[in-house]
Amino acid sequence: MKKAIIFLIAGTLLGVSAFGAAKIKHVSLKIENEPIVSFRFVFHAGPMNDPDGKNGLAHLTAQILANASTKQNKYEDILKKLFPLASGYFVQVDREYITFIGESHKDNLDSFYSLFRDALLNPAFLEEDFNRLKTATINGIKTNLRYSNDEELGKAVFKAFVYRGTPYEKNIAGRVGDLEKITLDDVKKFYQKNFTQANLIAGLSGNFPDALISRIADDFAKLPQGPCNCRQEAVKPAKIEGIQVTIVEKATESTGIHIGFPIDLMRDHEDFHALFLANSWLGEHRNSSSHLYQVIREDRGMNYGDYSYIEDFPRGGGAQFPPTNVYKKPQLFEIWIRPVENNNRLFALRAALREVKALVEKGMTKKDFELTQKFLSKYYLHFAATASERLGYKIDDTLYGLKEPYLENFKEKIAALTLDKVNQVIKKYLQADNLKIVFVTNEADKLKNELINNTPSPITYRTPKPAEVLEEDKIIQVFPLAVKPGNIAILPLDEVFK
Amino acid sequence: MKRVIMLLALFFVAGALTLSAGFFPFKAHEKIMENGFKIIAVPLPNPGIVAYYSVVRTGSRDEFETGHTGFAHFFEHMMFKGTKNFPSDVYDGMMTLMGADTNAFTGDDLTTYHLTFAKDDLEKVMELESDRFQNLDYDEEVFKTESGAVYGEYLKSKANPFFILFENMYDTAFDKHTYKHTTIGFEADVKAMPTMYEFSKSFFNRYYRPENVVLLICGDIDPENVFKLAEKYYGKWQKGYVPPAISEEPGQTAPRAKIIQYPGKILPLLAVAYKGLQFDPQSKEYVASVMLGDIMFGDTSEIYAKLVLNEQKVQMLGANFGLNRDPNLNAIMAMVKKIEDVEYIKAEIDRTLKKYQAELMDAKRLEDLKSNLKYSFLMRLSSTADVAGSLPEIIAISGGIDALDRYYTTLQTITPEDIRQAAIKYFTDHRKTEILVRGE
Repeated sequence: MKKAIIFLIAGTLLGVSAFGAAKIKHVSLKIENEPIVSFRFVFHAGPMNDPDGKNGLAHLTAQILANASTKQNKYEDILKKLFPLASGYFVQVDREYITFIGESHKDNLDSFYSLFRDALLNPAFLEEDFNRLKTATINGIKTNLRYSNDEELGKAVFKAFVYRGTPYEKNIAGRVGDLEKITLDDVKKFYQKNFTQANLIAGLSGNFPDALISRIADDFAKLPQGPCNCRQEAVKPAKIEGIQVTIVEKATESTGIHIGFPIDLMRDHEDFHALFLANSWLGEHRNSSSHLYQVIREDRGMNYGDYSYIEDFPRGGGAQFPPTNVYKKPQLFEIWIRPVENNNRLFALRAALREVKALVEKGMTKKDFELTQKFLSKYYLHFAATASERLGYKIDDTLYGLKEPYLENFKEKIAALTLDKVNQVIKKYLQADNLKIVFVTNEADKLKNELINNTPSPITYRTPKPAEVLEEDKIIQVFPLAVKPGNIAILPLDEVFK
Repeated sequence: MKRVIMLLALFFVAGALTLSAGFFPFKAHEKIMENGFKIIAVPLPNPGIVAYYSVVRTGSRDEFETGHTGFAHFFEHMMFKGTKNFPSDVYDGMMTLMGADTNAFTGDDLTTYHLTFAKDDLEKVMELESDRFQNLDYDEEVFKTESGAVYGEYLKSKANPFFILFENMYDTAFDKHTYKHTTIGFEADVKAMPTMYEFSKSFFNRYYRPENVVLLICGDIDPENVFKLAEKYYGKWQKGYVPPAISEEPGQTAPRAKIIQYPGKILPLLAVAYKGLQFDPQSKEYVASVMLGDIMFGDTSEIYAKLVLNEQKVQMLGANFGLNRDPNLNAIMAMVKKIEDVEYIKAEIDRTLKKYQAELMDAKRLEDLKSNLKYSFLMRLSSTADVAGSLPEIIAISGGIDALDRYYTTLQTITPEDIRQAAIKYFTDHRKTEILVRGE
């Protein structure tokens, strides 16, 4: 049974160090009463390392390691061996890091670890596995992303748009044309080059035997020593001038909207927690305390939810709390407006931008500041409820180069904030004039014209609304949007990640 | 704290044979109050955190009145609209102050409201939760606004071909029983919700009653204190549950099929569903029929190896043989790569069913499945909220958590012959519904 509370980790061993001759970097979190042992193998490699013309190679390589045969076992047999253990491993691919995550009950540790290790160290690279996973990835873009999930589609296009011109622009799963050209040989070469000791951090939590750490160090010493994908140059997106828009045109009954821009504010910066607090008030993920949620959903019933972020939050549709091991620098500020009726798309955009502008101009009120401070002082307890998630945060401390552990110090840092500090930081980092927007919607030309002409967007409701809401609507519907014609691109659906 | 951990350790060492000694590894304390309100308190060795789950044994199954589907889910939304004592902004403000993780979900057989928070806030939470269950109060305007958000949720779901598959599968398979509609309801009903304010109040008054709600509290708690607090805050809640008049589904006489055109380029989705049985954790026949999903179509099955890994004609294959209060569907689903292969895939599914009807399955694989199901459940219990979150379904279906032990005890006794008998009896043509969703 896991201890759910982060600050009560007395009695657990915590370390970031290198073990054995192999010098495998590792993070461990020993929890005596925890029968489930969690593993994380984090490689500093990702789509940002995809060679030009081969976007999708990192993702496909990761899939082949996690879901295919090894030199010891056919994939079919791996599934059969994992089955009675009810254990498994999977991979999370993000722009800069690939993380293999596995869990096993300690009773089954030996059998499980051997299978997991072989997957990472002894892949068979069979043509049949390659074909299966490559086809699944291409179908995933052509059919699933484009035609089955508008919100994920919007997010994927938005991130590539925000990071345009940088290595982060590459789509995580790749592009169809590139994927079609990728060969099994490309995969083998990518593996050789990137899955190295220098790129690896191994993580372990639970009541594992101490000998397991040295076993991992010995086993993973079989990987090539280097090189390391350590950054030589910063990822520097070009400055955004004005409002830039991509409209993904699709026959759809509702419109999803994503708004944002890169921000170079990382966890180790003295302004980070101040902006974290301000953002929590503005748009705490999937929480009705979000101000955007209150304005768009609660007062107006326009959609299912409206949130904002100062750190990338992949797979936000399914998760309540932030993911780990998805480090990137710079980070991004993002507003996620869940699908609204097509007629209300411009109104929803205006409502959101107006709130950001108001926050920048007026700052938070004392009351909101104090409430959010109290909220976060307890809410952060949910961020890492399981041992595996705590391990994820510990690894992040290493990735972010933190001198003090992030979660353990979170409450204290939030408590030390002042309203003045928060309002200064808001002005420093947030704005509503220079940003990028992605719509997934129908009638793209109509939207384009409305954006260019700053056309008012009155809203009508099926149900009565209070007078103060209707009064405010009159202001929102004419909130100025200055979009230059050259700043709007229409992307036909079948062109997305083509 | 120590005792619970030792029990857990013993359980794992002793393995399958000790299942009958208690499958759920923590001690649960139960109390039923005079008004019929049941409380299940499970102390856990996780310091500081409490998970608070109010399980309403009403889901979309209980929406038996024509034109009024979707209300169970709609209440999931309305329950956050406040009371005279604690209007919604006050309730939200208090939740924010507590930093509680709060949410709700609705299914066929249940609506669950859950919060996870620091243990010092237990009494405050109980005051707020008991109040909204007894005194929910919203005006027509608020009701209408929320119905807009619900319709937005419907539209969001509709853009997913799996939703289209499920919606058509239940609609085609059922004639009378309320499992005919999915949890979110028929589109026309959801759209018309703003006109149903009065009905919404009647729905609340009939179903949100102490006899129909079970309170599950897990974490850093003292059960006696929980019971004392419950008496204080829920003691005056009046009985008044009116069971729904759900029609029994008439026996199906012939196989059914439907093809749906999806407006988009997707891979064909095929569902082959069979009407299942009433939940009965002591029935070998029932438990064996549920196990058949993994056995015949799971990722260690022969057909998975053939169609997904070797021939690679299918991108995804799986079975959804869930637990329900009334007989529901056991569905086999496949995402097929080429439309011209659909007939072949159907034939392979049929061949698989026939094989398990004719032959005894491998005994080792059956034991592997038992081990898998045991560890799968236990490995899910990785936080306070995870422990609590593993129980609402069984509570909704059976009224408590004892059925969990009974279910897993029966599961241990299942033999290859039981599996074969279940395959013969329940996977027949006159229980079958076949749905194909095809793209452009």
